[in-house]
Amino acid sequence: MVKVSGSGKLWYVLSGSRGGARRATLLAELAEEPRNPNRLAADLDIDYSTVRHHLDVLVEHELVETETGDYGSRYVLSAETERNWEEVERIIRTVS
Amino acid sequence: MGIWIDVARVSTALNVVLLLGLSYVWLDNYRQFQSKHTLGLSVFSVLLLAQNALAFYIYSWDNLLSVWFATKVPAPAWKAMLALHVLEFLALVFLAWVTWD
Repeated sequence: MVKVSGSGKLWYVLSGSRGGARRATLLAELAEEPRNPNRLAADLDIDYSTVRHHLDVLVEHELVETETGDYGSRYVLSAETERNWEEVERIIRTVS
Repeated sequence: MGIWIDVARVSTALNVVLLLGLSYVWLDNYRQFQSKHTLGLSVFSVLLLAQNALAFYIYSWDNLLSVWFATKVPAPAWKAMLALHVLEFLALVFLAWVTWD
């Protein structure tokens, strides 16, 4: 796993590839309310496996993390995403 | 001798196809994001697309050069040229693979 820091990574994961816009949308949704993949899929009307795939990519790039609670595991924004929130928001705003 | 120019045509044509895919994704993202980052990727892929399209044109249709490349260029020179095209093809395969995700 290559470590990339700063906003270059953000831009690449969220806008450099085909699924980027969808990943940005997922990030925006999780910023509003942490959820499990099932809920996300239902709320956004996206295929469950698609949601899982994009969440895996976001986890791999340390933009979201899982949090285990009473209702199974929920996905939440990572500390890094929180720290760079201004930048993330700028990217997200362009897709919503 | 004729085989080399065919390999060159095929590899530049494949590069064109891969670059059309990359340009499609990046231009689409540029339309959506309007960012410097997506603009840079778009310009990069369009220019590299132009480069490969030009190479394919020269090898296939250019009146003077296509004949020259097909008949006058010796094998060692062709092998060196093809190494460049094939390396670029492999580079683009990997880039397309990660970008299509």
